[in-house]
Amino acid sequence: MKAIYRSFLQMLLFVQRDMMLFASCAAPLLAGLAFKFLIPLLEKRLTKWLGIDAILAPYYGLMDLFFSVLAPTMFCFAAAMVILEEHDDHIESYLFVTGLGKTGYLISHIALPGGIAFVVTLVLLPFFKLTALSGMEILLLSFTGTLQGIIIALLIVTLSTNKLEGMAVTKVSSLLILGAFVPYFVVHPVQYVAAVLPSFWMAKALCEKNIFYMVMAVLTSGIWIWSLMRKYKSGYKGHLHR
Amino acid sequence: MRLAQLTLWDMKFQAKYGFYLLYGILTVLYIVILFALPEEWRGKAAALLIFSDPAAMGLFFMGAVVLLEKSQKVPCALATSPVSAAEYVIAQTVSLCSIALIVAGILALAAKLPHLPGVLLGTALSGIMFTLLGIVIATKITSLNQFVLYTVPVEVIGFVPAILHLFKLMPTGFGNYPANVCMDMIAGNSVSVAGLLVVIASILILFFLAERSILKMWKSAGGVKL
Repeated sequence: MKAIYRSFLQMLLFVQRDMMLFASCAAPLLAGLAFKFLIPLLEKRLTKWLGIDAILAPYYGLMDLFFSVLAPTMFCFAAAMVILEEHDDHIESYLFVTGLGKTGYLISHIALPGGIAFVVTLVLLPFFKLTALSGMEILLLSFTGTLQGIIIALLIVTLSTNKLEGMAVTKVSSLLILGAFVPYFVVHPVQYVAAVLPSFWMAKALCEKNIFYMVMAVLTSGIWIWSLMRKYKSGYKGHLHR
Repeated sequence: MRLAQLTLWDMKFQAKYGFYLLYGILTVLYIVILFALPEEWRGKAAALLIFSDPAAMGLFFMGAVVLLEKSQKVPCALATSPVSAAEYVIAQTVSLCSIALIVAGILALAAKLPHLPGVLLGTALSGIMFTLLGIVIATKITSLNQFVLYTVPVEVIGFVPAILHLFKLMPTGFGNYPANVCMDMIAGNSVSVAGLLVVIASILILFFLAERSILKMWKSAGGVKL
């Protein structure tokens, strides 16, 4: 536990030095203010200008979903970049053979930032939400948003062997969030093609006001995280044998 | 000959690290998005996609390219080789822009844009500008997080006016802003000679800055200032 705490502190210092810590904390606040005040203002102007009853309002749930994913993605992305730096500098290999181990390393570098992002989202979402969300919905949205951030971080560190591949994977992994658009824009059953994406179920839960879909979001996220963790650990074993 | 070899080496480097695969996936996805949109939106959406991704890929990837090369001690090798900083900058720019041009061409054909030469010229010019900016920033950073943060203001200055300009939301008088001129070319709008000259002047200034930055980085490679 002490090793995990120290490893987390070390990562925090690394991120703080780059000002990324400040940016990760400021971004959800700034985005929250923009979501809460600018989007309704834009909606008011657009509806008046085009003479249509609602343009953005039907998609306010989608905005809440994006907000719930924002802080976890920022925090976990910063952590993933640190992991890539440590991998390229071979620090990771040394840490794995200490008391910290692989699991402790992942907890300190991904799970803890994810946990902090969960708390941040849980506190900020009630202030910045655009739709009427119950306490349970806020809790589940914050939780599934955090899982989404963890998946993105794990994808980056699992599928890439250096910084450059990491940036390429970052680009692809950010597309996971596109699943959120599907329930809002595709009514046909063909929408279930996106069922492998947790963001699809998160959006479906908000779109159809059915909390059961959040359980599906947790389940699909669990499968993603489990598979990626397995790949990360086995990948490292292969690296050691090489 | 040396420049051609350097460019080819950069292309191999990008292929090895999955750039071509990545942009293959992204191109397919962008085509799907374009076809999912109503036909009357496709032209503007294609211009937006081309300008914000393939054209700007240099800005996104240069930090990682330079940092990886630093960790592999490539700057030390290049600094002691006959390769000049200008050749290095040109090779990086040409190799990244070639991917951007292929993707932009495919997207323009998919969206049935009638002005393919304009799209390619706009993509090339904006690609050169963004890559040179990426090189200038990349030589000054020590970590990926730092690069991501440093590129945010550049992205705001580069993308926001161009996107507003595309939707005609920019106040008059900004027509010759370099990013807006490139966006006009990609979107098939007419471009003034003055606008084109501003873009070329910006590229020359950025090239000079990028070359200086690379030279400075090579001179301090290995921790000793030469």
